[in-house]
Amino acid sequence: MTYIYAIVFVGILAMFYALGYYLNHKTPLPKECQDLKLECEGCNITSCEVHPVHDIKEEE
Amino acid sequence: MQTIFTIFLTAILINNVILSKFLGMCPFLGVSRKTSSALGMGFAVTFVIVGASIFTYSLYYLVLVPLHLEYMDLITFILVIASFVQFTEMFIKKFSPALYKSLGIYLPLITTNCAVLYVALDNISSKYDFWQMLASAFGVPLGFTLILYIFSCIRERLDESNVPLPFIGNPIALVCAAIMALAFSGLAGLI
Repeated sequence: MTYIYAIVFVGILAMFYALGYYLNHKTPLPKECQDLKLECEGCNITSCEVHPVHDIKEEE
Repeated sequence: MQTIFTIFLTAILINNVILSKFLGMCPFLGVSRKTSSALGMGFAVTFVIVGASIFTYSLYYLVLVPLHLEYMDLITFILVIASFVQFTEMFIKKFSPALYKSLGIYLPLITTNCAVLYVALDNISSKYDFWQMLASAFGVPLGFTLILYIFSCIRERLDESNVPLPFIGNPIALVCAAIMALAFSGLAGLI
């Protein structure tokens, strides 16, 4: 029975996260915040979404 | 009361999350170029850690313990922190554009900040009561902000200094971080 509780509990949390993600991406950015950029110099973790390497790819 | 103060002071100065636990190193190096960015990041981290700590602590003792699911703490806390950041970002975006302008860009970065998960797990493993948990939840991010601010001041001065070519950028920053860690280790005998 404990395993069923565990699966249901993680399912609820995952759904809660998915809902938050969906609602957050659906909410438009305020007008004055359209071109906000994080001034991160970048470490060696290129998978990080604020790493400058992604800006270079977008420009290309 | 004395215990709460001890936990608070220890979290800021002695068991500093950056200098003694080496957590949150990504924003420590990435967002410490300017003092304004460092303070913005520190404020955002404080907000998320306090909120996430209250949520995770409540969820652990109100749901996981009664259902005997204590072994699920790690996955639960990861999902709760990620969800909390998403909802916080959404609400700030919608209701306070001014606050979003100063904090919004830091929020996605905090989702992957291991210091947040460390505080949530440490509150449970240390068996804190609610007030001790709050002291830890405020102390750790304040220590984080303090170190980030001091480090950003040092880096601003380093930019104007004549640093040898092989040390420019992250190498000299890491040398400074090591010296800071040594200096803060001297506070270990304070309590």
